[in-house]
Amino acid sequence: MSALRIDWTRCDGHGLCARLLPEAIGLDEWGFPLIGELDGVDPSAVRTAIASCPRLALRLER
Amino acid sequence: MTTLDLRVDDTPPLFTVAEPRLLANRPTAVPPRDLRWLVDAAAQVRLLGRGGAAFPVATKLAAVRRGARVLVNGSEGEPASWKDRALMRRQPDLVVAGAALVGAALRSRRMVIAVTDALSAAALRGAVRRQGAAIEVQEVEHGFVGGEINALINGLNRRTPTPDGIRVLPHERGLDGRSTYASNVETFAQLALLAALGPDAYAATGTADEPGTSLLTIHGTQSDGVIEVPHGSELRHVLGIPPGPVLLGGYHGTWTAREDLIVDRVRLRREHIGLGAGVVAVLPEDTCPVGEIARVGRWLADQSARQCGPCTFGLPAIAADLERLRAGDVIDAGRLRTRLGQVTGRGACHHPTGAIRFIGSGLTAFDADVRRHLAGRSCGRPTRAVLPLGWSR
Repeated sequence: MSALRIDWTRCDGHGLCARLLPEAIGLDEWGFPLIGELDGVDPSAVRTAIASCPRLALRLER
Repeated sequence: MTTLDLRVDDTPPLFTVAEPRLLANRPTAVPPRDLRWLVDAAAQVRLLGRGGAAFPVATKLAAVRRGARVLVNGSEGEPASWKDRALMRRQPDLVVAGAALVGAALRSRRMVIAVTDALSAAALRGAVRRQGAAIEVQEVEHGFVGGEINALINGLNRRTPTPDGIRVLPHERGLDGRSTYASNVETFAQLALLAALGPDAYAATGTADEPGTSLLTIHGTQSDGVIEVPHGSELRHVLGIPPGPVLLGGYHGTWTAREDLIVDRVRLRREHIGLGAGVVAVLPEDTCPVGEIARVGRWLADQSARQCGPCTFGLPAIAADLERLRAGDVIDAGRLRTRLGQVTGRGACHHPTGAIRFIGSGLTAFDADVRRHLAGRSCGRPTRAVLPLGWSR
């Protein structure tokens, strides 16, 4: 069971992760990610979202 | 130009329930103890850290490496807390003896006591001289978030004094980048007492779950100040029957309407209440609870290190909601609830979570007052600022 973790000191709220992974990531009213469940989400899409973060703020923790 | 005397002693009055220990008026002879003895004794009396997190001291002591640095956190970043400064100013020898005890047990290469006020620094330096201890007393400057141990260590290592994005515990990498045993001043004083008394005599007071005593800082009662309380004391007895909800654990703590609470971290934890750094407050009936919560809410927002989005933007938005609620202006209660839920747990340190715990539990505990304000009827009471925000250094 793995979960997405955000390094909040890095995240600037670009919102790319929510656009790439809308089934698992939403945004709050200020544009910062709200992480949901990863169950049933395509692992390659998760990897793409992690690699695409312009601030490298997203990672997968087991 | 007038020169202000910054050394006016503003320490609040000290009280004790039952026989004083930390605040006893006699010198305590602290014999040297090796690391094994300290770990076993701390485990036997179930000693918990007094900085706020209540982490088991034996576990932390066993986790550091031989030769580890020792860091005594006397920065007391909470404006409502006074117990650490009271202890450093009135019992500096006990604090220094505790630091020297741990330093010797660990064969420490460097021992530092970090403080933010000149009076405590002077008292500690006197004790260091008297005991001939190789301990540095360093004066540091920072706010509430800075009191977080990683932020303090970053400051002492001459980096920006803010919490790290990825938490590395001090026992792994602390002062000078080395393994460090870091604890609050009261924890070191408790260890000195433990070494002096031995675990059986130490456990002669308190409860089976948590032997010994704690220092609390009390606000909003007839006799505010710093009080030493044996664990197991009824909170009602300590406070003199409070008129309403009680705040436990300071501005990261919990408001509760419960009247049967006992001072005992283990039992309080079962009720999902933390004692934090020992700040306990009640509100007199002539002050507006919504105004008091709003005032602290704004202060908490201002204390953000502004590293993490939800804390940077969420706390000021919530503070603005609370200020409008206090004034009896129309607010979107549903949106406030959403905001409270969306800030908690989303940050590099515990500041946003603790701030939301304080605000959320306060709004629940003073539900009747909140409803009156939500209906557009301000309660008519002024906000008397019972909960202190500023403090002299």
